[in-house]
Amino acid sequence: MEYAIETENLTKIYRDRAGEVVALDSANLRVPKGVLFGLFGPNGSGKTTLISILVGLQLPTRGTARVLGFDCVKQSLEIRKRVGLLPENYGFYEHMTAYENLEFLGRLDGIPRGELRRRIDEVLELVGLKEWANAKVKTFSRGMNQRLALAQALLKDPEVLILDEPTLGLDPQGSAMFRELMARLVKEGRTILISTHLLHEVGFICSHAAFIRKGRIVAQGNLEELAKQYREARGYSYEVVVQERPEDLLRELRQLEGVVEVGLENNTIRVRASRDIMRELLGVTGRYQVRSLRERAPTWDELYQFYHGGGWGE
Amino acid sequence: MSEKVAIIVRKEVLENLKSLRYWSLIGLFVLLFVATSAAVGSAMRGLRIPGLELGRGRLVVQLVGSLSSAMSYVAPLLGIALGFSAIAAEREKGTIRLVLARPVYRDQVLNGKILAATILIVIAVLVSTALSLPISVTLHGVTVTADDLSRLMLSLIPSILLALAYYALSLFISVLSDRSSRAFLYCILAWILFTFILPIVASMIALSVLGPPPAISFNMTRGGQLPPQLRDYYRKVGEITSSVLIISPNDRYSTFVNALFTRRSPQTTSYVDLGSIIATRWVDLAVLAAYVAVFTLLSYIFFVRRQEVR
Repeated sequence: MEYAIETENLTKIYRDRAGEVVALDSANLRVPKGVLFGLFGPNGSGKTTLISILVGLQLPTRGTARVLGFDCVKQSLEIRKRVGLLPENYGFYEHMTAYENLEFLGRLDGIPRGELRRRIDEVLELVGLKEWANAKVKTFSRGMNQRLALAQALLKDPEVLILDEPTLGLDPQGSAMFRELMARLVKEGRTILISTHLLHEVGFICSHAAFIRKGRIVAQGNLEELAKQYREARGYSYEVVVQERPEDLLRELRQLEGVVEVGLENNTIRVRASRDIMRELLGVTGRYQVRSLRERAPTWDELYQFYHGGGWGE
Repeated sequence: MSEKVAIIVRKEVLENLKSLRYWSLIGLFVLLFVATSAAVGSAMRGLRIPGLELGRGRLVVQLVGSLSSAMSYVAPLLGIALGFSAIAAEREKGTIRLVLARPVYRDQVLNGKILAATILIVIAVLVSTALSLPISVTLHGVTVTADDLSRLMLSLIPSILLALAYYALSLFISVLSDRSSRAFLYCILAWILFTFILPIVASMIALSVLGPPPAISFNMTRGGQLPPQLRDYYRKVGEITSSVLIISPNDRYSTFVNALFTRRSPQTTSYVDLGSIIATRWVDLAVLAAYVAVFTLLSYIFFVRRQEVR
C-alpha cells in the first residue's frame, strides 16, 4: 500500500527545568493515500506534536517521518509546498481583511499573483465566507475564523490536508459544510488527516483512523480492521429485529454457546457473544418471524472508549 | 532579496505605516523637539552672561542639542515599538503557525522583519527631522549653513543606528518570549537602564572614586574659567563616567552627535573638521553597530534553532 504519511519510532521529548516530558513515544503512523484519516486522542496525547513534526514546525528527538515521500527534517520545505495545514491555536492578522490575510499567506505559498485572486475567491466560496472577504478579521466570530483557517489550508490546492481540531467553534451548519467539503476533497483523491478528540463531529466521515494515547499509536487501520480488534477483545454484537415478543427466541438465543448477554428493547433483541455466532443465529432466527438480523459494528465512540478508556493495551 | 522576504517586508511596512503607534512616535518626536528647542531658545535669549553670548553658531548647536535630546528618547522607543512584538506577538496570536506552515525558511521570516524595521526606522527618522527642524529654525530665525546641514544629515546615521540597536535588542527579547507583554516589559527595563540608571550609576562610581569636588571659591564672571583644580576634577569625573557609559547606546549616540557640532574654539563659529571627529569618535558608531550586529545574530541563532512552536 502507498502511504501519504509514514512515521517510524517518532519520538519527541521536551526538556525544561522541571524535567522531561515525552510528548511522542515511538509513534508509528501509516496514513494511506487518498483516504480521510482520523487521528483520535484526548487532549495532551501528542496529536499536535505529531502534526507539528510532520510539517516541520518542530524537530523530532528520534525517529523518522515522511510525507508524500519527503523527509520531515531534511525536506520540510517540499512538504510545506504540498501540504495544507490548519493548526491548533492559529491566529490571523486581525486588522487585515480576510482577503488580505489569504493574499499574504497565498503569496508565501508561492501562488502566482494572477492565479491567487481566483484561488482566494474559490476557497472563500467553498467555506461560505465570500461575502466577508473585505471584512476585517477582528470582526469575525470563532466559527468564521475557523472557516477562514480552513480556507487558508485549501489555498494552495494541497495534495495532503492536515487539520488539527478543525470543527472547534463551528456551528452545526458549519460542521455540516465541513463534512461535505471533506467528502468532496477525498473523492478528488486528496489525503486528509484530521486530528480531533470530538469524534461525534467527524468520526463517522473517516474511513481510517489511528488512536493515540500518551504519545503512542495504540491502534490504526480502517474501520473494519479496528472493529475486528474490538470484537476480539470485547466480543461480537448483533441486532435482531422481531415482529412480536419472542419469549422462545430469547430463550433459545441465551442457550447458544458463547452468548454473554441477551437484551430486549422494543422490538430489537441485542445479543453479545464472545465469538462469531452469525451462522448459529441464522439457523435459530430462521424458525421465527424476524424482520432483520445484522452484526452491529462498533461506533467510533465505542472504539475511542475502548482504546482510550482502558480496554486496550494497558 | 528573495521573493518571500519581499512579501514579508511589504506586509510589515504597510502594517506599520497604517498603525497609530508608528505615527504617534513620530508625532512625539516632533513635539519633544519643538518644545525643547523653544525652551532652549527662550532661555538663551534671557541669558546675559559675559563670554556666553548667543551667536548664530551657538543657537544652531543648541538646536542640535534639542534634536539629539529628543532623538535619544524617541529613537529607542521606536526601536522597541517595532521589535518587542515582532516574534512574541506572532507567537502569542498564533499567526506565526500559519506563516511557518508555508514553504518559508525561518531566517526569511526574520530577514523580512529586520529589513522592514530598517525601512520604517529610516522613514521615521527622516520624516521626524524633516518636519521638526524647519519649524524650529523658523521659530528662532536661524540661518542654517551648508556645513550645518551636512552635519545634521550626518547626525541621522547615529540616530538610525540608535533606533536599530534598540530594535535588535527588542527583537532578541521578542524571540525569547512567548508573551508580547513580557517582552515589552523587558525592553522598557533595558531602556530605563541605559537612559536613566546607567548615568546615575556612572556618576556614583565617579563620586565614590574621586570623592566630592574640591571646595574652592571663585568668581565665574572673571574670565569665565574654572580654577585648574576643579577643571581637573571634572575632567576625571568625565573620564570615569565615559568609561562606564561606553556600553550605553544612548551615550554613544549623544557623544557622537555633540562631537559633530563641537566648535574649534569658543571664539569661532566653525566646527571641528569631520575627518578628525570620525578618527576620534568612530568607537561611538562602532558600539552602536555592534549592538545591532550582536543582537541580530543572537536573534537568528535562537529563532532558527528554537523550532518549537507551542
